[in-house]
Amino acid sequence: MGLLENKFTDNIIVEKLDKLLSWSRSTSPWFFQFGTACCAIEMMAAAASRHDLMRIGIIPRSSPRQADVMIVAGTVTMKMALRVKKLYEQMADPKYVVAMGSCATSGGPYWQHGYHVLKGVDIVIPVDVYVPGCPPRPEALIEGLLKLQEQILEERPLTRKTG
Amino acid sequence: MSEDKEKIISEAVEKALQGDMDTINNIEDRVTRSKAKAALVKAKRAKVVSDEDSTKEDNASESKVEEKINFNQTLCKKISEKFSDSIDGDQNNDWIQLKPENWLKIAKWLKSDEELFFDSLQCNTGMDLGEGVLESRYNLHSMKHLHKVEIRIKVSAEKPDIPSVEQVWRVADWFERETYDMFGINFIGHRDLRRILLPDDWEGWPLRKDYEEQETYHGIIVPKVKEGWE
Repeated sequence: MGLLENKFTDNIIVEKLDKLLSWSRSTSPWFFQFGTACCAIEMMAAAASRHDLMRIGIIPRSSPRQADVMIVAGTVTMKMALRVKKLYEQMADPKYVVAMGSCATSGGPYWQHGYHVLKGVDIVIPVDVYVPGCPPRPEALIEGLLKLQEQILEERPLTRKTG
Repeated sequence: MSEDKEKIISEAVEKALQGDMDTINNIEDRVTRSKAKAALVKAKRAKVVSDEDSTKEDNASESKVEEKINFNQTLCKKISEKFSDSIDGDQNNDWIQLKPENWLKIAKWLKSDEELFFDSLQCNTGMDLGEGVLESRYNLHSMKHLHKVEIRIKVSAEKPDIPSVEQVWRVADWFERETYDMFGINFIGHRDLRRILLPDDWEGWPLRKDYEEQETYHGIIVPKVKEGWE
């Protein structure tokens, strides 16, 4: 091991930096605190004491600059779509998007006749996890966020992908 | 509760109904006294209900309808006397159909006249009647006299101009903006006539019958569903 040989006491864990980064990212995906419709109520319930998102390291941030995850909670109207896009662009990398509820995933009840509703938020920004439901229960949102954590944990931010 | 107390209560209630409250107030036991008072309230309520015979109620609602019709007719008459050529078409018992030209003057008069005093515009909404006719409807209410009236104004869809009453009833500001947003009715004289719900650069008037949504909005596809659906 050369320089590092026998330099550490035994409470040090040796791990790849790549894995350390993705592990630390996955255990603190702070989400951007905003809601566009009724799903936001369930998001608030998920963040409140009964379901307590903080126990899995997820806390709300009020600024896009400090947030890693955007939970699009609710109907996105055409007027709001431009703003959602702008907010997404203001977030610093790495950034992830959770589309919460049927409106954000597909337009929901407005998908055919709602002239004013965006038919799924993935038309304007890339989505990592879709949470179905109208609105989804807090448990469903938490499952979605756990899936997102799994996804982040598998990322290797430093290693170049080959092939 | 013992029979004695029940007897005391029923006697006291009977006397109180005849106008003698002293018997109830002189009951010494606090619990019995409050029970007697509760029984009195119940008895009074029962009396009121029995007085209002069901046939009487029917008569009352009928006379109310008549009153409303009379009120509408007299108001219609007053308007046509004061503002000539402003009633549009046949008179109706449920609403008053006006022409748009004199509407601002009439509105000011409706609000300021002592006998009418319509100080509250409860709602203004639009309606597409089809065949190129739009309509704006106003529900007026007087907080002072507690009477109400509905005003309807028809305009053609090619030239949908109606005088704004935004400076008569301030609440009309947002009402008229919404009607403008959905039906494209121009409220002449409104100081801030912008869209209220849809974005400023939206095309078309969504609640008109001949509305067709635009294909794209800032590069975002508006009407089509995703591929592979349906």
